[in-house]
Amino acid sequence: MLCTWVRNITRIRKITKCYQISEQIRHIRALKRVQSDVIVPLEQSDVAQHDKPTEKRLAEPNEKQNNAVALDFGIREAHVPTFNLAAHVNNSKTLQQLLSLGVNLHSIERRKGLGQFVLKLDFEENVKPYLTFLSDQGISADDFGKMITKNPLIFKEDLDDLQTRVDYMKSKRFSVEALQRIFTKNPYWLMYSTRRIDRRLGYFQKEFHLSGHDLRLLATKEPRLITFNMEHIRKSVFTLREEMGFSNKELQTLIVHTPRLMMIPPDDLVERFSYVHNDMGLSHAQIIQCPELLASREFRLRERHEFLKLLGRAQYDPQKDLYISPSEIVQGNNFYFVRNVAKSDLETFDLFLKTR
Amino acid sequence: MALTKVYDAATVFRNLNGIMNVYKPAGMKVKHVRNAILSNICKGLNELEQREPRKLPNDMRLLGTGAATDTVLHKIAANTDLSDHILASGPRYLPGDIRCAAVSTLGYHTSGVLLFGLNKGLQQSSLIQRNRPVRVYHVTARMGTATENHLPDSRVTVRANHRHLTPERISGLAASMQASHQRKMYELCGVDLQTQAAYELACKGLLRPADNSQPVVYGIKLIHFERPHFTLELHTINESEQYMAALIHDMAIELRTVAHCSQIRCIRHAHFDVSESLLRHGWHLPGIMKNLRLQQSVLEAHAQLLDQQRVDLHAAQ
Repeated sequence: MLCTWVRNITRIRKITKCYQISEQIRHIRALKRVQSDVIVPLEQSDVAQHDKPTEKRLAEPNEKQNNAVALDFGIREAHVPTFNLAAHVNNSKTLQQLLSLGVNLHSIERRKGLGQFVLKLDFEENVKPYLTFLSDQGISADDFGKMITKNPLIFKEDLDDLQTRVDYMKSKRFSVEALQRIFTKNPYWLMYSTRRIDRRLGYFQKEFHLSGHDLRLLATKEPRLITFNMEHIRKSVFTLREEMGFSNKELQTLIVHTPRLMMIPPDDLVERFSYVHNDMGLSHAQIIQCPELLASREFRLRERHEFLKLLGRAQYDPQKDLYISPSEIVQGNNFYFVRNVAKSDLETFDLFLKTR
Repeated sequence: MALTKVYDAATVFRNLNGIMNVYKPAGMKVKHVRNAILSNICKGLNELEQREPRKLPNDMRLLGTGAATDTVLHKIAANTDLSDHILASGPRYLPGDIRCAAVSTLGYHTSGVLLFGLNKGLQQSSLIQRNRPVRVYHVTARMGTATENHLPDSRVTVRANHRHLTPERISGLAASMQASHQRKMYELCGVDLQTQAAYELACKGLLRPADNSQPVVYGIKLIHFERPHFTLELHTINESEQYMAALIHDMAIELRTVAHCSQIRCIRHAHFDVSESLLRHGWHLPGIMKNLRLQQSVLEAHAQLLDQQRVDLHAAQ
């Protein structure tokens, strides 16, 4: 490509015999760089085509100076393919601003199309109004980075729409703190239209006969649940209700206490439940008392329960002596468990684990 | 060598070489163990002190427009190459940066010693693999029920009585099986057991298979008996989970009952013992570094692990 380029230059030189002074060249180059700050990859190719004829003529007399800057590709910069956003960071003010907010550009560009989108943004026009909007909702600036990393597409939404969605939430009597938590924990929430959010909140309210207060508690506790895959939630609810046999009343307390259960793959949930119910011998009522049991991985439950059984301390009946609360079993790391719950030492626990 | 505390990721990464002895839990694939360990190492490395982003060369001319509003002035002050910032270029260490290979694999239901070579330890791991050291297993069988694939998680096919079984009968069978396996080895070498050639072959040390296709059993011993379970200790090379499960099944048939494997545990791989292996809650960077050092001392104590004369077992032509 370079050869053809040089060949073109020599041909043009023969035809035109046009010489320019280097002052002008520098001026035009500077202008071009102004553009490259703002322009987007799609447009860049157009710009490049416009500039080409002049650039060819201009570049020729300046060849000696060009040698000094070996890496400066001139107009060809537009054609050099880039593989990540990092290649543009030094030249783009927007990306630099995002970087200083703590946005993880690396994880944005891994998702399809988002790299292109972020590159097209202009900080003053596209980003700043949204940041002021978010800070108006009481979100601290420390969380901006994490939020934008997760969901840069929020800059695509209309500000009025966002305001409507916030107003809708306020009309549902969500407190300011609750909203703050919801928006930081689940940056996708604001992407959903009021109608969609309303339908989903309605689903949870009807399915579990929740009061308004409980529903707000549920949504605030696990904001990701509301925008979660509905098919998955339906499956989980089926598993909880039909396969495990929790009654409606029990399900209600279970859901409000640990909404996360509905986001766990149903197969895992059944596995855990069958271990807790059949092997550890806990009744439904006891599981309702500490739903964290179902949120802990099965191997963890198994290890700890069998260790307690080995020590003869697996006694989950509160009526009798040496009662161990099931919620204590899943608490803390292994060291905490061994010292405070099993009242043993870590060497014994290690030896026990190595026999399995 | 005195040990010093290190806070610098690059130094740690440079020393991340050697053999690692991991306790693989049952019900987890080797691939998943490997991924878990590599991602934990990377997490640990990325939490340590990282190198600073590169500096831009001073005469670099790609700095924007030169207008007063531009960030040029900031850049002259800082002069860091932002494209090398962690947020822009991603974490410094990724699982793909660490070379890692298992010395030999264990099945899904098997727990126990699993050796990994890390980075420069890959060479050692392939040497160990080539020397084909013996692995020792504790295989627990459950009498009375047979399952489809002889492992606990499949369907039960046959039930049978096992009241007539005593530890003596099982040990007797184990001993005779061990003897027949040993005779088989000499036959595969093409020598008669009652000859001078066989004696000389035996003097040279353990007969090992030349490739990793044929399972060879060197010892079977009953070590524990408690109805309905009994435990065998197996010394083998080139075994697989399926092979051991089938062995248990065949033994049980021979004993006029049925059984399946309820647990397979590898307790020793060459000189790498289960007592030094790293449990799941120890799979973090400090634990792994400590384990690497420990296994290095094992390697130094037993030089024959890496370099040894051996007698290959060639199938008779």
